[in-house]
Amino acid sequence: MTMISTIDRNDQGITQSLKVFFAKLLEKGVVDALLLPIGLPNSTAAMPSLITRPDQVDQAIPLGPAFFINAARIVSRLSWKESGRKTAVLLRPCEIRAFIELTKLKQGSRDELVIMGMDCPMALSRPNYDLYMENHSQGDDHWINTVFPIPGKDADGFEFAPACASCQSPFPVNADLSFLFFGADLDQGIPVRADTPRGEEMLDAISLSPGVESDQEPANRAQVIKGLQEDHGAAFKAMSEDISQQTNTIEKLNLFFSSCINCYNCRNVCPVCYCRECVFTTDVFSHEPIQYHQWAGKNGQIKMPSDTLFYHLTRMAHISHACVGCGQCSNACPSNIPLSQLFTSVAAQTQAAFDYVPGQDDPPPFSVFHEDEFQEIVGIE
Amino acid sequence: MENFEPAIVAFVCNWCTYTAADLAGTSRLSYPDNIRLIRVMCTGMVDSQYVIKAFLEGADAVIVSGCHPGDCHYINGNYKARRRIKLLKEILPRFGIDRDRLKLTWIGASDGIEFAKLMTRFNDQVMEMGPCQTRLDRAI
Repeated sequence: MTMISTIDRNDQGITQSLKVFFAKLLEKGVVDALLLPIGLPNSTAAMPSLITRPDQVDQAIPLGPAFFINAARIVSRLSWKESGRKTAVLLRPCEIRAFIELTKLKQGSRDELVIMGMDCPMALSRPNYDLYMENHSQGDDHWINTVFPIPGKDADGFEFAPACASCQSPFPVNADLSFLFFGADLDQGIPVRADTPRGEEMLDAISLSPGVESDQEPANRAQVIKGLQEDHGAAFKAMSEDISQQTNTIEKLNLFFSSCINCYNCRNVCPVCYCRECVFTTDVFSHEPIQYHQWAGKNGQIKMPSDTLFYHLTRMAHISHACVGCGQCSNACPSNIPLSQLFTSVAAQTQAAFDYVPGQDDPPPFSVFHEDEFQEIVGIE
Repeated sequence: MENFEPAIVAFVCNWCTYTAADLAGTSRLSYPDNIRLIRVMCTGMVDSQYVIKAFLEGADAVIVSGCHPGDCHYINGNYKARRRIKLLKEILPRFGIDRDRLKLTWIGASDGIEFAKLMTRFNDQVMEMGPCQTRLDRAI
């Protein structure tokens, strides 16, 4: 049975109430450290940071419009090996999904973690965030009131990041405890749900006894989520059809990627691009100079940087089944190629083909097989 | 295209299909020389990128061929290959590479005749399909 407690507001803002909650976890020694998005000094940037003292929660921006990095690989860094420290990590739903994917590959472990999830505050794209920050300060409740309890169509005059606007899973799955904002009457406090015994223990330890005030989710939450899924689903469908049209021949795909500079940023920020060493940065691609001349001679010319489409298609084949739709590939692209639109569109198809939903407990599709599957693709008629 | 000679890349496993091709040869059976065999130890090692690279370099079709289910020398490599081909058949057609240009077959070591027959038949099919887009519009 799920237990839902309430974090009291005590006439404080939502951000402040959450900070008090986080500080309590450290004060009472429930955890040794917290990983929270923290505003950096004199900067509008916010980065996941590991904090160990209660006073440091002050700089936390738990629910901001900034999404600079998908923290799954950071959590992987903190958990790939035993540390002897218990850490609570605050993650967006897509970050949890990505981290779960990494745990399946033994690149992280939940053993010493408490995963705190949240109904997603969504995010602005990086350029939009910079504009937004010209007139807003970090850490106030302005953004929270924009997206909760029901997200508007736009974000206070700004557009949500495309990946967020087409995300159909903006709620936490597989967390230990979850902050439930959608449909909630936040004036009455912040509902927090314990999803696992570990989550329950944690709420107990800071005297938020489970189920005392309610064991019900916010009355309208299911409805708000359903509405979001419909709206975002329609946006995804339109986006996916558009991007498919834009890329349905090799000629068009060449055009789509024509400004790619092979920086591999999309790979570097991708939380599920899991290889320790990527084949595209190994000696396999350290071609002999004469090789380029031979290619140029054969085809008249060769674009340098080379192998651009090869790289992107290979990445689609290797990890689209695990794509969590976080949109960081688009954020990281210096040429503003709408990568996440293409990737999520491909991912929807490959994930459907293997009936796979990243972030849940099923084994990755290329780690298993069944003897009598996919027989229709075998043979030459 | 007049006088179209397809380029077909076939990744064949050492234990079954390559042996079948060898048998076809020693049995003096002929098959179209448009088919370029690449011997691999197992279809399970044919990474998606090999298939993608073949198409991007102008192959008109790609075949991956290994042991029948249950006969894999490495127990289950062919089942893994089947999932990968399934994946590629989802991805490549989105970009104009027809799914029929990628084939997965099981040809056992003693199936020399079957090997020659299938290769001839597939070559005819590719001749009919015409050149793959990637031959005309080179991927960059």
